[in-house]
Amino acid sequence: MTAQNCVTARVVLARESGTLISLVLLSGILAALSPHFLTLPNLVNIVQQSTIIAIIAAGMTFVIISGGIDLSVGSLVALTGLITADLLHAGFPVWTAVLAGLLSGFFAGSINGILIAYAHLPPFIATLGTMSVARGGALMYVGGGSISGFGPEFRFLAHDAFLGIPIPVIVLIGVFFLSHIVLTRTKLGRYAYAIGGNETAAVLAGIHVNVYKSVIYGICGMLSGLAAVILTARLNSAQSVAGTMYELDAIAASVIGGASLLGGKGTMLGALIGALIMGVLRNGLNLLNVPSYVQQVAIGGVIIAAVYVDLSLKKRTPWGKGQ
Amino acid sequence: MMRVIPIVLWSVCLLLSSCTKKNGDAQPANAVGFAINTLNNPFFVDMKRAAEETAEREGIRVIIQATEREMDVEKQVQILENLLQLEVKALCATPNGSKEIIPAIIRANQKNIPFIVVDSRVDRKALEDAGGHIAVFVGSDNVEGGRLAGRYIAQRLGNKGQVAVLEGPAGHETGDSRLRGFRQAIAESPGLAVVSSQLASFDRSQGYTVFQNILSAQPGVQAVFACNDLMALGAIEAIAAAGKTGGIVVVGFDAIDEARRAIREGRMDATVAQFPSEMGRVAIESAARILRGESVPPEIATKIELVTRENVDAKAGE
Repeated sequence: MTAQNCVTARVVLARESGTLISLVLLSGILAALSPHFLTLPNLVNIVQQSTIIAIIAAGMTFVIISGGIDLSVGSLVALTGLITADLLHAGFPVWTAVLAGLLSGFFAGSINGILIAYAHLPPFIATLGTMSVARGGALMYVGGGSISGFGPEFRFLAHDAFLGIPIPVIVLIGVFFLSHIVLTRTKLGRYAYAIGGNETAAVLAGIHVNVYKSVIYGICGMLSGLAAVILTARLNSAQSVAGTMYELDAIAASVIGGASLLGGKGTMLGALIGALIMGVLRNGLNLLNVPSYVQQVAIGGVIIAAVYVDLSLKKRTPWGKGQ
Repeated sequence: MMRVIPIVLWSVCLLLSSCTKKNGDAQPANAVGFAINTLNNPFFVDMKRAAEETAEREGIRVIIQATEREMDVEKQVQILENLLQLEVKALCATPNGSKEIIPAIIRANQKNIPFIVVDSRVDRKALEDAGGHIAVFVGSDNVEGGRLAGRYIAQRLGNKGQVAVLEGPAGHETGDSRLRGFRQAIAESPGLAVVSSQLASFDRSQGYTVFQNILSAQPGVQAVFACNDLMALGAIEAIAAAGKTGGIVVVGFDAIDEARRAIREGRMDATVAQFPSEMGRVAIESAARILRGESVPPEIATKIELVTRENVDAKAGE
């Protein structure tokens, strides 16, 4: 590793330190309270349970960095899950069905992008609309029901392991590795920051803002499609009500991870840690058998606390102002 | 591009509105409104189908509307108010909230529109305090259903062992009643302990995650009662992922098709069958009787029974 890489690594870690501290603190508390928390099977469970939200959060982080928001992701999970499930039942090979899920997600997502970039609808409104359209479409697709029962050649996506690591976790790592590379090493990533930081400046700099926005929302939709594939394999069922409220969990994960809803700020590693914080919290509250009403209070409290810790640490660091 | 989009959007809107126009005509003399909880759940889809069939047989017109989400109490009140605006002659509703629906009942009372409550009860005291009344309640006894589930688990475990519960949404009358009945039955066997009782909000994905977590915390769990089948179906996937299929008694509620299939395949043990189609049929029949000026009893109980592997193919709710 070159000296520069070392520095980069340290800066990246330092930038996530606030979120990381929250995750470690929370895990420490839960480990002290429950003997079941800090066991390998449970930790694997947590990562697995966080996969769905984490993958959606990766797409959401892209969108948030570019200064937008995508409320349609939960509905897209339902719609793309049904498309995949339908093709599987129609006898298409697994890879075709999965690819169709991803592509339909990309297509639906880029419609969001087009509405926002070319029709100049505010992202909140455009995706609020498509959220309802996609949910309604999913309900119409199967008359409010579900498509279930798949063969092992599809279900391995959620239930098998490779070298002892569950497939969803491998997918999760792959998604975040790629997203990180795209965000930090490619034009698309740098432009996302540029558009979110100052859209007018980005336009003046000659960036094809509209095209990039459409692609960014497309990626977000595609990742929702990927989450849907894993969810469908896990539950052995694609439901028209799947993914309800997932948009809020994904936004929370991104923001806990340091993304700013004003745009221009956010990292993939942060979003991953954010999703893990939510996963750890839900798991811990279940393990401790916390009464259900209290759970909701705790989840909200931790979201606020995590963002606060992150913000107050960043104020004191030179890179806090940057990405 | 920019100029084309509004044109496209408006033409889509026009197209959609022309599709729905035929619903906007004046109502015939015997229209009945039916506000169904949600159509995202096969249970209510069955109810809707039966209601429509019965309406056709009875020669009345039924307008069925549903909220997008099962817990959306406020939207349901809006739906009921809109149905009243359409000048229906009777209203049926499966309440999304046992107290929240009361203002809509009062409105119907003021207009002398008979109000039929289906499936889930209205809070009787709150309704009386508000000075409202309903024409008839059609539904099965969820408390009794919970008891059936509890007794089945007690019998399967030989009256001793650890039991977990997956609860419905916080404060939901139906889920609460099932839970109450279940706990009563469990309390009859001192050897049985409910070691974990957690919210999974009638949701399949939450059923999976929450039960996976319960299994980590309570590896000795021998049985789980889920207050609806969707959560039970989530739980059996978590059990399969843990390699414990067949080792844990799983009991759901509602007897939806997928749960029956799971029971047939031995992945699930039992479910409590309610008969949504019977509820839909009886609700519309009662409305028709009231409109003809006949009297109806204040409560009509629809049947309820336990579906296990022994009787899943036979009858039970089909």
